[in-house]
Amino acid sequence: MTDPINANEIQQEIFAIIAKQAKIDPAIVRPESTLKDLGVASLDAIEVIFDIEEQFDITFPDQGPNFDNDTVQGLVDAVLKALADKGNAA
Amino acid sequence: MSIPHGRRIVITGMGAVSPFGIGAASLWQALREGRSGIAPLRHPDAGRLRVRVAAQVPADFDPAAHFDERTLPMLDRLSQFALLAAREAIAQSGLDFALNDLGRRTAVIVGSGIGGENSHDEQYRRLYADNATRVHPLSIIRVMMNAPASQISMAHGLRGPAFVASSACASTNHAVIQAAQMIRNGLADVAVTGGADACFSYGLLRAWEAMRVLADDTCRPFSANRRGLVLAEGAGMFVLESLEHAQARGATILAEYGGGGMSADASDIVAPDPVGAAAAMTQALADAGLEPQDIDYINAHGTATQANDISETRAIRLAFGTAADRLAVSSTKSMHGHAMGASGALELVATINALREGVVPPTANLDVVDPACDLDYVPNTARAIPVRAALSNSFAFGGLNAVLALKRAP
Repeated sequence: MTDPINANEIQQEIFAIIAKQAKIDPAIVRPESTLKDLGVASLDAIEVIFDIEEQFDITFPDQGPNFDNDTVQGLVDAVLKALADKGNAA
Repeated sequence: MSIPHGRRIVITGMGAVSPFGIGAASLWQALREGRSGIAPLRHPDAGRLRVRVAAQVPADFDPAAHFDERTLPMLDRLSQFALLAAREAIAQSGLDFALNDLGRRTAVIVGSGIGGENSHDEQYRRLYADNATRVHPLSIIRVMMNAPASQISMAHGLRGPAFVASSACASTNHAVIQAAQMIRNGLADVAVTGGADACFSYGLLRAWEAMRVLADDTCRPFSANRRGLVLAEGAGMFVLESLEHAQARGATILAEYGGGGMSADASDIVAPDPVGAAAAMTQALADAGLEPQDIDYINAHGTATQANDISETRAIRLAFGTAADRLAVSSTKSMHGHAMGASGALELVATINALREGVVPPTANLDVVDPACDLDYVPNTARAIPVRAALSNSFAFGGLNAVLALKRAP
């Protein structure tokens, strides 16, 4: 029995992970920002992905989101999809 | 062409263990045919790994067929590869190290990025997964970074300077340049040098997965549809000696070592800087007394990551200017994969043979032109052209660059 996925809460958690890595205020993170816009360079982006995977216990596909150029919204969508897949599999 | 300094150095032996099996000849034959050594990952944990493909030494490799039962327990897989490649190179050179105490004047400089990784992983698995309290008593002997250099020196009675140089994916080239400098400076008359790595441990494969730079299908350097690098393993070893030493004994010379260039980007830990790579190429040319227009072929680092291939293309343009457009450039990693610290060694086999045979190996899997990669990468089919001189590029994570300049045998 798992809680239904709360998209808004998940988005806030992802914003917080990104903000922590970028050392910025979570309020600055917008869905349309890219990681690059927020000053998260390639190696930091890998850490963001790792933190998100750990936080939600999911695994992104290897050739999944383009972490430098995709938007934060793209990342949120990818997490929601991974969580939904996980729920279906459970 | 002028020789700026020191003794001239030639290569009189080469050996390899690669995804194409034992022997430099089988490696070269595959490369000139454009044949790939990349296949589905063979690993006890393959079922739960996301790594799909790899370029591994063939499954029928049997260490017991090559080493006696007293030696084998001391050897991690990378030392086995290193010893076999050295054995082949030394046999080809025809040198007798017992004669006139030559062993005392012979250096062993081996490049390795990772060291005894399989033994590390195996023993840690015993401790952490099986809750064992003891590990194999020869674990330290197997995993110490200097193991392959020590093993080669012991196997052949080589008593000159011996150690391992480590600079991730540039390890071989740093080792070869160091070995050549020793001969130039008179610290040694002969050197056995090259590189070895064997990195298919569960732990390291997981670490590569987390880095997100691995291709899941094949290796496509300089192609717009490239998806990352493909891990490989192997070793390549070479016998270097001074030209007069080789000529005095009537040795067959495979190629001349012209010179080397080394630099550090001192910028990002992973993102390559074309300025640093170009500086290493320019220094290699100068060290060899060559001008950009003297070079006919570059064996590129060409990993097939997004970042490398664009940065390396820019670096070649920076170093070669207008001469870049008449170069043949290829990445043989498209076929033998990325053997980490040994990749420069497999690529040196390719470069030496390109000089000897006048055949440039292709970049396999180059199907879709990338506008940001605008050199002649010899797509998919080897090309017969006279190769007077060539460069072999290696650029490591950590921004460490090492470039070799080779010339046809005098």
